[in-house]
Amino acid sequence: MRTFRLLLAGLFGASAFTGVTFTSGPAGASSSALATCRTTINAEEYAKGKLTVATDNPVYTPWFVNNKPSNGKGFESALAYAIAATLGISKSNVVWAYEPFDNSYTPGPKKFDFDINEISYTAQRAKAVTFSESYYNVTQSIVTLQGSVVAKKHSPAQLKTYLYGDQIGTTGLAYIYNHIHPTQQPRVYSTLDAAVLALQTGQINAIVVDTPDGQYMATSEVENAKKKADGLQVGQFPSTGEHYGLLFKKGNPLVGCINVALNTLKSNGTLASLTTKWLNIYTSVPVIKP
Amino acid sequence: MSLGHDELSSPTPNLFTPPRRRFFTGRRGLAASTISSVLLVAALVSVFFWAPGSASVRYYFFNGHDMWQSFIGHPQTGLLSVGKGFFTNIWMCLVCEVLILILGLGVAWIRVSRSPVLYPFRVLATAYTDVFRGIPLLLVVFMVGFGLPSMQLGFLTTQSPDVYGCMALTITYTAYVAEVFRAGIYSVPNGQILAARSLGLTHATTMRRVTLPQGVRTVIPPLLNDFISLQKDTALVSVLGAIEAARAAQIYASTTFNGSGLVVASLLFLAITIPLTRFTDRLLDRDRSRRLAALA
Repeated sequence: MRTFRLLLAGLFGASAFTGVTFTSGPAGASSSALATCRTTINAEEYAKGKLTVATDNPVYTPWFVNNKPSNGKGFESALAYAIAATLGISKSNVVWAYEPFDNSYTPGPKKFDFDINEISYTAQRAKAVTFSESYYNVTQSIVTLQGSVVAKKHSPAQLKTYLYGDQIGTTGLAYIYNHIHPTQQPRVYSTLDAAVLALQTGQINAIVVDTPDGQYMATSEVENAKKKADGLQVGQFPSTGEHYGLLFKKGNPLVGCINVALNTLKSNGTLASLTTKWLNIYTSVPVIKP
Repeated sequence: MSLGHDELSSPTPNLFTPPRRRFFTGRRGLAASTISSVLLVAALVSVFFWAPGSASVRYYFFNGHDMWQSFIGHPQTGLLSVGKGFFTNIWMCLVCEVLILILGLGVAWIRVSRSPVLYPFRVLATAYTDVFRGIPLLLVVFMVGFGLPSMQLGFLTTQSPDVYGCMALTITYTAYVAEVFRAGIYSVPNGQILAARSLGLTHATTMRRVTLPQGVRTVIPPLLNDFISLQKDTALVSVLGAIEAARAAQIYASTTFNGSGLVVASLLFLAITIPLTRFTDRLLDRDRSRRLAALA
């Protein structure tokens, strides 16, 4: 449910931000920058000689496995170790710290180098903390009930005819207004659970929610009276630039080297293979047009 | 109210009042009350302007531009009009109030009835008022709004959230209003009923012609009180996804990070409730003076 707090303003900021991300950094320049980083990184760390990485507790699959960030399993755990390896930090020098999600993007000193916890970049949060470049682009997806008309008919024109519901202030709701343009006024609920309840009781046709949450919602949250999963994630929409970033204390210079490492992992294909390995349940959702 | 109306019009000034205290009466009393009012208002306003966060409070909650934008809305981008949303509040409270008055009177009538045939209804009516006065309105709204649709009962399950909200408000407020009516009925002196019965009126006619007209008049102020409260509670229906003034303001706040819409919604509610409150006060005053006149 992390990304729900991302709002319209963040969306525009983010789309401009990622536009730069994916076009920058020729391979040659970054390899020399990487060499510099490997030597300077120690001086910039929170605990010298160690890379202190924070996350919430508990943490969930597929981001982490068995609530154990230090096992190297799960997308975010594996990514943290891959970043460390790129910067020449041994596995034993990666230390995990605990940081509750709601504290992470508040201003002030931090007891870690970076926090990795499916935190969406927003312009609002970026005023209080510093974000790395994107390591995962969040897409919006559409969730409905099995057997719903939405499951079969979801052309852009057909999508406009449905009655949507969503939680107030979410990127999903913003997506409905800005990209789907439905003919009926969407219902706006205080919580996502209320929207799910409305879906289950047939008061709305579909919910738009980010793909990871939608996947969980469709397989685990929406159940029928026989306790069988009753939800269906029809498809995901093309990315609008919403993304997860590593979170740093505001102005932490370390972000420069972490971005160099992230770009290295992007250009050598490591990030793509980690995404395929751990986030296949999200990336395999068919892409549909709004 | 406290200007000392009697003293102003009194032909014989109270000579026993020490001169120092006369400052507080008559024309100079008016001056004194004006000065103290101005000072109080100035003190309150200056606290508002001098508070360390004053500028941000004014920017986030009393921003003229955002207040107007949230009032008119911009539906294409999902910014819904607070003003338009308020019409939902108004029609919900008007429709509900009519239903509540009718049903509440019915429930009260059953509760005060004595016929043995009506015994099961009396038990039912008592249980109903006990249960629904005891459950928080928000929970009733949730149960009706999400419970009824899942029962799959034809037209009952395909209504809009506004309608379910109205049902919930009616169910809860009927329980309160029934008790108000019952109190009104019991406030009529027993002699009135005995007199009516001795004139040969039946129990039902006595109720209709003697008890209710007197009892209901007594409880008009508390009924208006409940009406004001109902008008505000229509905002709770937003949890079902209905877009009323408070929800439209919340949407504006969560989209633009500016809470001025919440102030606009509050002002709209006040525009209805303050005149209603004053009206209730006047009714109370009139009723009181009539009774005092009747005693004299």
